[in-house]
Amino acid sequence: MVHLSSLLLKNYHSGYVVIRLALAGHKQANRPFYRIVAAYNKRARDGKYIEQLGTFDPLPNIYNEKLVSFNFDRIKYWIGCGAHPTKPVAKLLGLSGFFPLHPMTVTEAERRRAQAKLAETAEGTEDSQEGKQTQI
Amino acid sequence: MFQVIGGRSVQAVRLLAPRSAVLVEAVRGRKSRNDPVAKSKEGRIKVPPPVDPVEMVVLKERYSEYELIMRALRLEFKEEVLRKKYEEEMGSQAEERSRREKEEHRALMDWNNQENLQMLKARILRIQKEEEEAESKTVEAAIQREEELQEFIRQKEKEILQLQEEAKNFITLENLDQRIEEALDNPKNYNFAIDKEGSVVKRTVLQ
Repeated sequence: MVHLSSLLLKNYHSGYVVIRLALAGHKQANRPFYRIVAAYNKRARDGKYIEQLGTFDPLPNIYNEKLVSFNFDRIKYWIGCGAHPTKPVAKLLGLSGFFPLHPMTVTEAERRRAQAKLAETAEGTEDSQEGKQTQI
Repeated sequence: MFQVIGGRSVQAVRLLAPRSAVLVEAVRGRKSRNDPVAKSKEGRIKVPPPVDPVEMVVLKERYSEYELIMRALRLEFKEEVLRKKYEEEMGSQAEERSRREKEEHRALMDWNNQENLQMLKARILRIQKEEEEAESKTVEAAIQREEELQEFIRQKEKEILQLQEEAKNFITLENLDQRIEEALDNPKNYNFAIDKEGSVVKRTVLQ
């Protein structure tokens, strides 16, 4: 039986459309998988969406890659219709080259490089200190 | 570090956690408005993460660039969507497509009408045949009934004739005496004997 109420209320929505990551419930613990999805803002994260625009697998595979897929044609359409991408989606799209690189990606990378350099210099001084001590 | 669980699993967490130990997992909305601050957090002043001014300037610059590019992209895509819609409705292909569709529609409607006419003819023929068959059936039935009636009459007439013939030998009041005398004068002997071979012997004890 078709529920007539859902047919009548199908197109009732205020609010805007977002492009975001929705957890694709595979009902397996500790194995997440995201769908890149165009949905209304107020819907549940994993609830009914308008259209699926891609996927994102956050766990790296045997070649140490995290696989992402996009449907660029439809993404263009939705952005042209006024959809907003969320931060992680914007970052992924920036990395893919479709959008410009997100500033936070760059700053995060710079911060990590600074940290790595600090760690290296700290190790270097420790080694040199140890070397001096042994010499002494 | 701490997992934030949704409200529904609060009960399960409370059951699973050991009674005496502290709840390891933090649950959103555990304390209500009038609950006092925890002892370990009494003198805590929440401080936002420190901001590096040099980095902040660079970041602001980057963000302004990014937003500029994003705005431009958005307008581009919007224009593309509108153009596609316009072409879809009023482009060079649209007229030809609409014309072709109309022709197709007309052709299909013609074909449909032809089919309807043929079916009409077939139906008329069929109905005529059925009518004729029904008529012939009724006629045959009438004939059959007539025949049966005739047969019945004939049968009855035969019986009447037979009765009439038999009536000649009836014993009536006038014949009574005569017949009695006849019967007494001619004694009939119905006795007979038969043996196993089937030979009949009509001569019996003499009267």
